[in-house]
Amino acid sequence: MHSSDPSYPKPDPAPTMRRDFLKSCALAGLGLTAPTTMLSAIDKQQELPPYEGPYYLVFNASGGWDTSYLMDPKGTDRINRLYTSEQILSHGNHRFAPTSDHKQDGLSNEDFYAEFGSEILVLNGLDYSVNNHSPCSRYMATGKLDSLAYPTFAALVAACQGASCPLSFLTFGNYSATGNLVAKARVPYLPSLIRIANADSIEGNPKSPYHDKFALDRIEQMLHQQHTDRTAQPQLPRRQRTESMLYAAQLNSKALQRITPHIPKKIPKARLAQQAEIALASFKAGVCVSANLSIGQFDSHANNDTDQMRLIPEFLDGIAYTLHRAEELNIREKVVVIAQSEMGRTPDYNQGNGKDHWSIGSIMFLGPGIQGNRVIGATNEQQFALPLNPKTLQTGVGDGIRVRPEHIHQALRQLSGIADHEYSQQFPLGVKTPEILTNLWVNPTKSDSE
Amino acid sequence: MLKTHGAAACLAPHVLVAICMAVTSVAEKPLFASDAITCPKSEDKDFDNFFTKEVWPKVGRSECVKCHKTGGDADDTRFVLQDLSRLTQEERPAALRSNQDAFIRMAHQQHDDRSLLLTKASGGEQHGGQQVLKPGTAGYQILQTFVRRSTNPNSLSGVASMDSVSRESFFEDVTMLDDLRLLRKATLSLAGRLPSKNEMASLAVRPSPQFSSATVSENKNENPDRKVLEMILDNVLCEDAFYERLKEGFNDIFLTLGVDGNPDQTVLSYEHFDKTRGWYQKHDLNHIEDEKERRNAGYKLAHDYRAALLGEPMNLVEHIVRNDRPFTEIVTADYIMITPYTARGYGCFDELKKRFKNHDDPFEYIPVRLKALQGRRESENQTSDTGFYPHAGLLSTLQYLSRYPTTETNRNRLRARMYYEHFLGVDVLELAARVSDAAAVTAKFENPTMQASECVVCHKTLDPVAGLFQNFWRFDRNSALYGKREGGWFTDMFATGFEGSRLPQQEQWRALQWLGEQTASDPRFAKTMVSHGYYLLTGRRPLLPPRNLEDSLYDAKSLAYHAQQEEIEAITTRFAESNYNFKSVIKDWVLSDFYRADGLSKPVCSPERMAMLQDVGIVRMLSPEQLERKVSAIFGKPSGHLQGQTAMLYGAIDSKEVTERAADPSGAMGAIQRTLANEVACRNVALDFSRNRTERILFPNIDPNAIPGESTVTDQQIRTAIVHLHQHVLGRDDAEDSPEVGRSFDLFSEVISDAQKYGVFDERETWSCRQGLERPVPDPHYTVRAWRAVVTYLVRQHDFLYE
Repeated sequence: MHSSDPSYPKPDPAPTMRRDFLKSCALAGLGLTAPTTMLSAIDKQQELPPYEGPYYLVFNASGGWDTSYLMDPKGTDRINRLYTSEQILSHGNHRFAPTSDHKQDGLSNEDFYAEFGSEILVLNGLDYSVNNHSPCSRYMATGKLDSLAYPTFAALVAACQGASCPLSFLTFGNYSATGNLVAKARVPYLPSLIRIANADSIEGNPKSPYHDKFALDRIEQMLHQQHTDRTAQPQLPRRQRTESMLYAAQLNSKALQRITPHIPKKIPKARLAQQAEIALASFKAGVCVSANLSIGQFDSHANNDTDQMRLIPEFLDGIAYTLHRAEELNIREKVVVIAQSEMGRTPDYNQGNGKDHWSIGSIMFLGPGIQGNRVIGATNEQQFALPLNPKTLQTGVGDGIRVRPEHIHQALRQLSGIADHEYSQQFPLGVKTPEILTNLWVNPTKSDSE
Repeated sequence: MLKTHGAAACLAPHVLVAICMAVTSVAEKPLFASDAITCPKSEDKDFDNFFTKEVWPKVGRSECVKCHKTGGDADDTRFVLQDLSRLTQEERPAALRSNQDAFIRMAHQQHDDRSLLLTKASGGEQHGGQQVLKPGTAGYQILQTFVRRSTNPNSLSGVASMDSVSRESFFEDVTMLDDLRLLRKATLSLAGRLPSKNEMASLAVRPSPQFSSATVSENKNENPDRKVLEMILDNVLCEDAFYERLKEGFNDIFLTLGVDGNPDQTVLSYEHFDKTRGWYQKHDLNHIEDEKERRNAGYKLAHDYRAALLGEPMNLVEHIVRNDRPFTEIVTADYIMITPYTARGYGCFDELKKRFKNHDDPFEYIPVRLKALQGRRESENQTSDTGFYPHAGLLSTLQYLSRYPTTETNRNRLRARMYYEHFLGVDVLELAARVSDAAAVTAKFENPTMQASECVVCHKTLDPVAGLFQNFWRFDRNSALYGKREGGWFTDMFATGFEGSRLPQQEQWRALQWLGEQTASDPRFAKTMVSHGYYLLTGRRPLLPPRNLEDSLYDAKSLAYHAQQEEIEAITTRFAESNYNFKSVIKDWVLSDFYRADGLSKPVCSPERMAMLQDVGIVRMLSPEQLERKVSAIFGKPSGHLQGQTAMLYGAIDSKEVTERAADPSGAMGAIQRTLANEVACRNVALDFSRNRTERILFPNIDPNAIPGESTVTDQQIRTAIVHLHQHVLGRDDAEDSPEVGRSFDLFSEVISDAQKYGVFDERETWSCRQGLERPVPDPHYTVRAWRAVVTYLVRQHDFLYE
């Protein structure tokens, strides 16, 4: 082919195009800027370097999980019919409900904690403030209850750390607002990745390009010229923004070629595993920063125990699968896992053996920068949240705060190093300094083994 | 607190909402009984303006009226306001004045030497809505100023009142599409085609704003071209393609195609249609001899039947609009649309077959009034005073009820919530107010939804409507949708009705019809339909009023909101005057400045002005369906690329799990755009050159072998060809010496130049791109492939991929 010939004419517009593009995006107010170190790398490599982590995975148990069957066990008749308080198990500092005898498929709590307990941080007694799916989902995803404009954490971190990645923010469900900072990508099927990886080739076959390379390079060059020209002209804000978004989407999509080697030949059957494979392949290729993974049906208004014993093990199995595959791809140490649901379930059963919505719940974390084998916060025997001292992280001692999603999100922003980023500043969470959960991620006074 | 799922669900949403100023209940009246408060007669226009521009929009409308209105949680207090959203434009000035008087009366009330207005707003004196405004916030300061002004008329306002802007100044420096470009945009959007030559000829050609400083369009009523445009649009709105677009757009809103499971079972339930819903399984196909063909025909029969069933609600929308019927019929129509196939499913085909033109057409929809449902058991027969199913437009269709099912604990609240969103434009879950300890509130009350003020505020509005769906009280859709609750409807919910009006007992059998009648006469309905029209055309909902008074851009955003609202109000008025003909909504939006706005004549540097213009202009990324139609209109056939999984990857919806179309392109979508452009150019460039010149679409005036640089004449011909391509593919009227044409020319010539520098290339197009030609098209100079590069370049542009 022509492209392999050294005498081949090369317009070579890439370095300048990248630099100008990033500038124009910044002017357009998009989350498409890059640090100067990245710009110099672009000039040398002609292509944006792969994003190398950390990678953020938000696992969502959509519908409202029953935390008393996972990390906040009670074992009283009123709250749990499947086990007694004497049967509550522990692993290190974790206490959890026994599920190996009740689960249908998937991973039991016993096996999950045995493998990951030393890495897991749990926060119990999280107050969602309301208990309806839509606002709770929004609140948990963004840390802001009363705004439709705020981005989800996954979108925000993607915008701050790698907005120019072609699949910067992947979503498979759950509330996924972006705050107009970054485009969200839905890639519902693994084969879709193959289809889009070689967009300039007929039937996706790299050996059959539509255009000779010199022609394709000229097309890119002209699109770049046009983009530069248009951004210098007065435009309506929507037009200005979407011109840049479009240009970025097409230009950055070339990096999708890097995904191909990481797409597994065998497609897993489990719901979360399918989503995880797409996210992990994208992480490994350096084209993605964050992903929302989600499975539903947790809204167990009828037959709570049956549903939760089917879904919680499936959920944990999905997390375990993801971490195992991340290990195989050598990115395990860069993966941050956030496992959450938009609400909890009532501390009693309704007449249909179900449980309704409850505004108190739990959240779980694992990954780099997070000290495991820890449980922060608590609920009492009736599943009400106990106030938490934000400094000592102790409950029941003196005054404390009700830990709400904004506190979690403030901490997540700090963990990911984006708390002071201009995009984070655009979407303040309003957490007062004394309420910041200072040592949530690492307790300076305790080691992992304690 | 609001409950839509589950017995303990609590929340206080935005529009109906929790936090408000329950000044005092009737029981507390002694506190005020001795106060002979008369309304101060203020003649101070500045003061009136302050109330209208500051107090009402920033505090009254956004907070107080949610509870302090008839039917609201605080309707038994002495501070009851009028909800302007429920009034006509003519009624609003008097209502606003009345509200101002109510505020003044409250401002004059004292509690511990402080105005009760401020005390209650900040959560004091047992305010039912607790703290609404924190002292020191912008909203509180506005109230402080109001109290000071009302008690001391000579004091200065302290807060600059915000002036509104005229339409002209709002659109100042915004360039507008000329009529020809507007026409192209409208025909592509509404009918998936380019304007005809006759249509274009009927419009007077005026200079394009692209090259002029044309700004705000002239006075609409005096513009003769508007009449011509209206006539053209009248015809466009009669085309079949428009109705496909209409149904697609309304399904994006109602999502009735997203019924779970096989609709012949979940729409037509076992209890009432067990003998007829599976008619296709026994349908005689023995006239087809080949077994495989017969089997495939059976599959097609089932597929078409299910598609026809799912299509009924949107075909009701089509029927109403196509026949210029009042659009209020989407909630009042006493009929549904059924086809020969679905009629068999309902079991009424024999009665109707004379009305169908073709008994084998699965999609021939006609309006039909069903008889009351007959159950397998007598107890499951539908109650009806007339013997007919009490149809209420979309509300009572089995598809709508199946798409938004209920559960035992949900108690039809999901349906009530969707009703408010779909037909009155109220999203009860849009912005939820925080409850200090929702769990404790839930546990404290035996029946929180009727006892806890945090819950009552919303449930008082939502639950009566939920009760109106009480005749559809079944949970397993395969089994039944219709069915009453044993022992009658719940008594631990607010009584069945609509915003303060109880459902009369004799109307219970036709409760949804009663609701439809209430809805049709509610001013919010017409306004919501106008908003739906905007959504259909732009893919986004109208602006919400800004809420953060501390935002430095609050005023700019507020002006943007009001400018858009004024347009919505004006279109709503004309919609009502047209007897709710929905075509008038589409026409008005298309002819509005919001649709015409296309650019800026000079740079805007001020953040405030940028915020004002944030939502101006359509600038919508085309959906996969729209993009395919556009490719078809411009190149003569669809690409076939944006189907199935690729369409989903390109931001389509499945009406079930994925219900919001993608608004911005991800990298994955960018890749699809590149493939699409490559593919469309590949399939069409050589093909077009293989046609007789008079039949060419893309290159009617250029020889495929014309090489740039050979002569001035040839270069001129190439530029002319590019001008045609830009006009045809992008809808741009670029001049031959414009930079845009210059870039396309450069691309064309540089690709040829590169190829010639390389020296060795096949003298034919790529194999894939020379298939299906009418005659061979040699490419000895690489010009055909260079033209393909140009077309690829054009299809990848914003002007093609967005509208």
